[in-house]
Amino acid sequence: MPGVSNTLDLAGFQAVGMLRQICPRGLESSVRLAAMRVIGPVESPRGFGLQDHLCWVHGDLWDYRPRLTEFFSEGLERGLQVAYLGAGNVEELREHLDRFIDVGPLLTREALRVISFDEIYRAGEPVVPAEVIKKYAAATQEALTDGYRGLRISADVTDLVRAPEQQDAFARFEFLLERYSSRHPLSALCEYRLELGDAVTQFACMHAAVPAGLTPFQVFACDDGAVGLLGEFDAACQAAFKRALQSIQPAPDDSKLIFDMSAVRFMDHRALLALDSYAQRCQVPVLLRSMPPIVRRVARVLGLEHLGIVRTGGL
Amino acid sequence: MRTGAARGQAGHFHEVGFYGSDIEFRALIVPFAEEGIAAGEPVIIGYDNRKNALVRSWLTDPSAVTFLADKSLYATPSRAIATYRRLFEFHAAMGAGQIRITGELSHPGNGGSFEGWDRYEAAVNTVWDDFPVWGLCLYDTASAPAGVLDFAERTHPRIVSPSGAHRANDRFQEAAVFEGLTFASDPLEQTTPMIELVDRSAAEARQALAQIGRGQVADTILEDLLIGVTEAVTNALLHGRAPVTVRFWTTPDRIVITVHDHGRGPADPLAGLVPTPSSRANPGLGLWLIHQLDMDVALKHADDGFTVRLRGGTTIG
Repeated sequence: MPGVSNTLDLAGFQAVGMLRQICPRGLESSVRLAAMRVIGPVESPRGFGLQDHLCWVHGDLWDYRPRLTEFFSEGLERGLQVAYLGAGNVEELREHLDRFIDVGPLLTREALRVISFDEIYRAGEPVVPAEVIKKYAAATQEALTDGYRGLRISADVTDLVRAPEQQDAFARFEFLLERYSSRHPLSALCEYRLELGDAVTQFACMHAAVPAGLTPFQVFACDDGAVGLLGEFDAACQAAFKRALQSIQPAPDDSKLIFDMSAVRFMDHRALLALDSYAQRCQVPVLLRSMPPIVRRVARVLGLEHLGIVRTGGL
Repeated sequence: MRTGAARGQAGHFHEVGFYGSDIEFRALIVPFAEEGIAAGEPVIIGYDNRKNALVRSWLTDPSAVTFLADKSLYATPSRAIATYRRLFEFHAAMGAGQIRITGELSHPGNGGSFEGWDRYEAAVNTVWDDFPVWGLCLYDTASAPAGVLDFAERTHPRIVSPSGAHRANDRFQEAAVFEGLTFASDPLEQTTPMIELVDRSAAEARQALAQIGRGQVADTILEDLLIGVTEAVTNALLHGRAPVTVRFWTTPDRIVITVHDHGRGPADPLAGLVPTPSSRANPGLGLWLIHQLDMDVALKHADDGFTVRLRGGTTIG
């Protein structure tokens, strides 16, 4: 079957700048449709589906409030269980949330959970990404068992990444969350505070959906396991891209790692060389697929030593 | 084991010869080729079709030499260096004791442009020094402009006359002290640019170019210019001195871009012609990269700073 469900259709760019992953035309209706995910910079935090992974930034906690209200309301309307996470005990969190947002009559369905960071993370220590993902996976499964269509979570995670030694681990976790949500009904709105400064980019770029203008490039998970790259990669974001690469690991059972380049608008020789040396270090073969002509051009002149190329026609 | 005038020499034996007629051309090229054929050395000849045909008719066994007819292989100086280097690597691997190569560079007298080839002539003294190459560059005094002939003389350490005398060239200048031609400015540069950006990012320069360039030139040329303007702006921002000014001009079939900063530009007179070998991730690589693409690249050093000019589409020679 030509170009299975990993195809990114650039025509899917919407007026608001969204890139949606869509199922290619011509597939029989019996084939499971690829999940709709919002991929790319977005102008508004509205309209997210069951598997979206969204990042947003706020200066004041009250700026987060309308987004959280909307994100949870839409989730409840879609039949999801929603969970708010934060520091402190569950009673305090629930009280805080009651003052913070008003999701109206939907609350009576007990679809709104609060979870203390203590249940998921270890206070003050770097996260162990794989363990945290297991907990979210269990919570997602629980929501499905209870009859919901999935789980939707949101938190201001600034306090979890304040110390520099926590940041790399948390970026790896964000990548695993991105990968998990690309295949399971877990949607997330991860909020960061502006006071983190440039450090925010390291986390923002690991989300399929980010506010426009926050980061020039993004790393996202394709539903076939490939790692999608999106946007523009040049000297201005070279340090951030190298850091992002450090957060990307092949999944435990994968015999290779594929970067899908179809949403790359520009990539300079520095970024290609960074990918090439990533490939040299990686324990499995690393391949590029769907390179746009302008990237292929640079790659050809450079002569990449360690990266493989996936030829058209699939894997 | 090298034969002929280059016997006992190491590295690139870079020789120039001047001719004013087909008879003098023959007197210069035939001994060079025949001697190489007799010694079993690879001989590579690259002239225009007329001169290639003449040489073919003069040689006892033209099948023993390689004629280069594909001008695109050496369309730009940097690409010529990359192409010839691969050729030399091949012959060296095959055990050649010496590789003889002769050709004529483009200049206004033969319908081309000499811009950039002066730096090439200076560069190949060092960049081919890894190989036992005898490079014979012949210039037609009847058609080449005086300025081109002057540069030809100053860039070759050896000179040969039609009488067959080989000697050291006392007008030769080392690449380190060589100052290239001053580029003629493009007529468009005298006009008001369509867009001018000051101290803006490479991404903004790409955005501006994509906006004005789409549909003006072929997509592949626009892509090369997008890569080029990115590297030029990045180098100016990282290594030059502010303000960095990017100007764009377009006509229905071509695009001219200049990237100017107030720094002194790369100190290496060969910048862009060869990738800097020590590390693939250094600033010189970007400049080399844009010299490999399908566009005209000019580097201008002046009192007010350093300019990279990129031209894509129909080029004015």
